[in-house]
Formats: sequence, structure tokens, C-alpha cells
Amino acid sequence: MVSKTIMCPKCKNQMFIEGNPGEKKYITCSTCNTKGVFNFPKEEILGKSIEGPLAIEIRNLTKVYNGLKAVDNLSFNVKKGEIFGFLGPNGAGKTTTIKALLGLIHENSGEMKINGHNMKTNHIVAKKEIGFLPERANFYDNLTPVQTLNFFCELKDADKSVVIPLLKEVGLEEALNKKVGNFSKGMRQLLGVAQTMIGNPKIYILDEPMGGLDARWVKAIRDKIKMLNSQGATVIFSSHILSEVQNICHRVAIINKGRLIAQDTVENLNDYLKIKPRLEITIKNLEGKVPEFINKIEGVESANIEGNILFITCNPQTKIKVISALEEAGFQIDNLKTFEPSLEEAFVKLIDMDRSGAQ
Amino acid sequence: MTIVRPKSIYTVAKKEFLDNIRNRWVIILSILFVILVIVISYVTGGGQDLFGDMEASITALMGITSLLIPLIAIILGFSTISGEAESGALYVVLSYPVKRVEILLGKFLGLGSVIIFSTLIGFGFGGIVIGATSGLESWANYIGFIFLSIFLGFIYLSLAICISSFFKRRITSIGAGIVLVFWGLIYGMVMMAILLATGYSIDNLFTGKMPEWFFNSAVFSPGDLHQTAVYRLFGQTTVSFDMGQGTSSFAIPDFLNMVNIMIVHFIWLLIPLILAYIFFMRRDI
Repeated sequence: MVSKTIMCPKCKNQMFIEGNPGEKKYITCSTCNTKGVFNFPKEEILGKSIEGPLAIEIRNLTKVYNGLKAVDNLSFNVKKGEIFGFLGPNGAGKTTTIKALLGLIHENSGEMKINGHNMKTNHIVAKKEIGFLPERANFYDNLTPVQTLNFFCELKDADKSVVIPLLKEVGLEEALNKKVGNFSKGMRQLLGVAQTMIGNPKIYILDEPMGGLDARWVKAIRDKIKMLNSQGATVIFSSHILSEVQNICHRVAIINKGRLIAQDTVENLNDYLKIKPRLEITIKNLEGKVPEFINKIEGVESANIEGNILFITCNPQTKIKVISALEEAGFQIDNLKTFEPSLEEAFVKLIDMDRSGAQ
Repeated sequence: MTIVRPKSIYTVAKKEFLDNIRNRWVIILSILFVILVIVISYVTGGGQDLFGDMEASITALMGITSLLIPLIAIILGFSTISGEAESGALYVVLSYPVKRVEILLGKFLGLGSVIIFSTLIGFGFGGIVIGATSGLESWANYIGFIFLSIFLGFIYLSLAICISSFFKRRITSIGAGIVLVFWGLIYGMVMMAILLATGYSIDNLFTGKMPEWFFNSAVFSPGDLHQTAVYRLFGQTTVSFDMGQGTSSFAIPDFLNMVNIMIVHFIWLLIPLILAYIFFMRRDI
């Protein structure tokens, strides 16, 4: 059973309704008697109880800043061994959530666990098992990177022999004895990445890890995340740039205005939101109309033309059928562009739904 | 329950020491301190005919220590929490297995070590000069003086850390730090104004008739308290001022005996530190 507060489209009256995921609920507005239907989202969209041991659990987290709810009754889980994208527009509450998880801010309510350790009562044990990269990594101006990492090793009871190799790995080998105060923003971020790996943590929490880095390092960090994950680490990272997330996350959670609006795999989200691949086919001999057989191919949702370009929306499996049917019918294909469903579209659609739909 | 782990405190203290011993302003003030101590020791101790003995050196040194040591302490402490919270450094540290109380104590001890370091270098050179020129008869008092100077530094450090954990931003911490420096400087004037407002006149300064509360009010100013402690340390029961028309002497009230002075010293040290703990624990980083 899930509950939702919805707004009557006519009189803006707010109503509290309950139902099962996927259920169609017929509602009558209690003030203006307008009748309507509400489709409860499929379970996975709201965040179903997922299988397997959990790396991170966040339950009913609420944080109010100056009377504004930065995070509003947020719950989600991260499974052990997955790469988890924590997404939302700027100001959605991502950093606040991570800060609350780490105990940097005092939440108004909520319970959080890392590796099963309650963060209220057992945060010292939990923090030994994580590597954390903040949004803007900053350190001590008068220390060298070696001294900085030595300090973090001591705090974590970790072996200091990893310090130099780690700094070399992130590309800071030429700055080993320079003061961090003279580092550029990007170099500080690299030092930040290096410190997350101290003590071989099982869980990585990265807040906007690619922010402020150039393309070369964005790729390097993406590869690093994949590599750590292949060695068994759980990675959760936040981002507002979706192309960074799309191809490496097993699952994503999307938040807007402090509330969870979706939690699922990227494919399931697109499936649920009916976002399909689109084809743009430039054809020489199109003759100004959509060939009739196109609409008869199973899986084609829509077909339009504009000049000599044919636009088709279809299921992923249907793309090849469409192309070969066109070729068989003697059409000369000059150019072909395919647009795979992106997380971006899912994101925009979800946030629009969140704005217009149920409050 | 909070169990404080000495190893974590030591780790934080070591980092603070390494970081702040290289702080530009601390280095400049420490060098200035060392130079002034050597010069004063030489001038006052070296010219025995002129000033006499080590006590004269100490009195002159006191003027320097009660200004420069608080200044070093305030520079070390005023933004140790607010500045790191603003820059984001504290954000990383708190993701490590360390408790806030350990960070606070580590900072106090690490920054305190910087104060000890600067003070000992200054007084070490000063001691050599004094020893070479006027002998080492009152070396025990000299060590006592060093101890009291370090204590003064710790009091100001405790106040500065308290400021730093209360104010959200570095810039407001700077403001509060400046107020703290000025408090030490204007306190005498404030008390003098109160003295005059309560019916006393400037003449009382020359005739030596001053109310006891005027002296006792030193408990509200760590700098004045420090100076009174130094007088007591050297066995002086009166304070002399050169008024231009001859010196006038005032007796230090019995209330300001060494035991009471040290109790007040500890209160000045502990209350701000406890407040700093409360502010820091409640703070959103």
C-alpha cells in the first residue's frame, strides 16, 4: 500500500489517497465533486523494497532549513555491489541528503544506515568502510598532498604506504611536495579522489565527482568508478549532468525539491515513461508521404515526414526491421540518425509530471 | 556515549601543528616576538646600571607578551572551524572515523603547541641574553613567567576557537577576533571611565587612593589578569606607575592572590572551550 497527496485539477483541493502500486483509483473531489482517475505508479517507480544486502539505507529523512524543506521524507536504498546514480536538478537536496547521511548536519527526522551500521549510534565503524568525495574538495593550504593523505590514513588507521602510489595514480606525481594552497581547483578534486581510496573502502559516496573537471578526467573518473565496482565496491554518486550517469549506473534515484520521484534502472524508467528510440532517416526518393507499410510494422508507434526526412518512433527491436523494409521497397537511404532514449528525457518527463501532477 | 580516543586527538593535533606552523602571519608575528624579546632583554638586562635586574626585564617583556601572544592565538584560532567549514575541508574530515569532540580537542592542543613553540623560541633567546648579561638568579621566576605567558595564549586560543565554532562564516569570525583584540586594549579605558563616573577623580591616581574593585576587575580581562599574575610571581605587592611628577604606588588587593588568579585563569580557559564544544556539536557543516 502506498499513499499520495494529489491536487484536484479544478479546485486545487488537496486530497490524500491510498492504493496499491499500478492500481487505477477512481476519485471524487471532496469539495467540488469533480471525478477523476489516478494511476498509482508501478512499484519500482516509487522505490520498491529491493532484494539483496544493502550498502546504504535512508528512511524518511527530513531536513528543514529556515522553514524550507530541503529534504522531505526521503527514503531509498543502495544495494551492495551496484553503481547507483543519485540525480536531481540543482538545489533538489542531493548534497543535503549526503551531508545528513554522514552526520554533518542534524536532520529533523529519519534513520540512516551504512553497511547496516546506524549512523546515529555507530558512525565511527561505518565511516571506516566508506570513501567520500565532496562536491568541492578542499584541504589544508599549508600541507603537501603527501602530508594531507598521511593525515587521512592516520584517521582511518590505514596503511600509509599507499599514499605515494595513490597520488601518482590520480596524476599528481609532480606536485607531491607542493603546498595544496597553490593547487588549482582540478588538482584539489584529484587529491579528493585520491583520498577516497584510502583504506580500500567497500562503499564510495561521491558528490558530483565530475564537476569542475575537464573531459579527460571525466572519462578517467568514469573508468575508475567502473573499475572499483568490478572489484566489488558499491558506488553511489550524485549528479545533475545526466550524460555522466546514463551508461554506468545500474540504478538511479531521482529527486526533486527534496522528494524521491523515481527509483529504478534507466531502462525501466524509460519503459514506464514510454520513452522510445527515435529514427531520423534521410531518403532521396521519399515522394512526400510516409510509405504505407511503415505503420504496419509491429512496434512502430508513429511515423512522420518533413521534407525528405522520415521520423519514426518505435520499439528498440523494431529499428532494424524498419530499415530493411525501406531498403526492400527500393528507398535510397542517404543518412540515418538514431536517438536512443536518454535518461535526460526520463528526467525531464518525471520532473514535469512531478510539477503538474500529484503535489 | 562519547568516548574520546587519544590517538585521534593526537592525529588532529599533529595536522594542526604542521599546517599552522607554516601560517604566514604566525611566522611574521613569531619573528617579531623573538626580535622584541631579544632587544628588550638586552636593553633592560644588559644595562644593569640603568634598570637594575631581571624584574625590570620581565616588566618590559610583559608589555610585549600581553599583546603579541594573544594576537598569535587569535590568528591561529579565529577561523579554525568557520574557515574550514566554509572551504569544505571540515566536510572531508568529518567523513572519516573521527568524532567532533576529538577534532575540537585536537585543534586546541595542536594550535596550543604552535603557541608553545613560538613562545619558547622567543623566551629561549631572551633567556640566553638575560642570562649572559644579568645572571640567572631568578631563573625559576623566569620559567614561571614563560608558563604564565603560554597560559595567556591558551586562554585567547580558547576564546578564538569559541568564536570560530559559533560564527558561520570566516568573515564574521574575523570581526569577532578583532573585537577580542580590542577588548584587551580598551578594557583599561572602560574601567577608568567607570571609575570616573562613580565619583573618583584623576587626582586619585596621584594620591594612590583607588578602590579595590578597580583592581579586582582585572578578572574580566585576561591580559590584565596575566599582568597581575606576573607581579605576584615576582613577589611584588604593589604596582607602580610613573606619573611624570613622580611615581605613585598602589597595593594589589588580597583578593588577587596567586591561587585566585589561577582559578580565574582556568575559568577563562574552560568556559569558552565548553561553549565551543556546544556550538560545534550543534552546528550544521
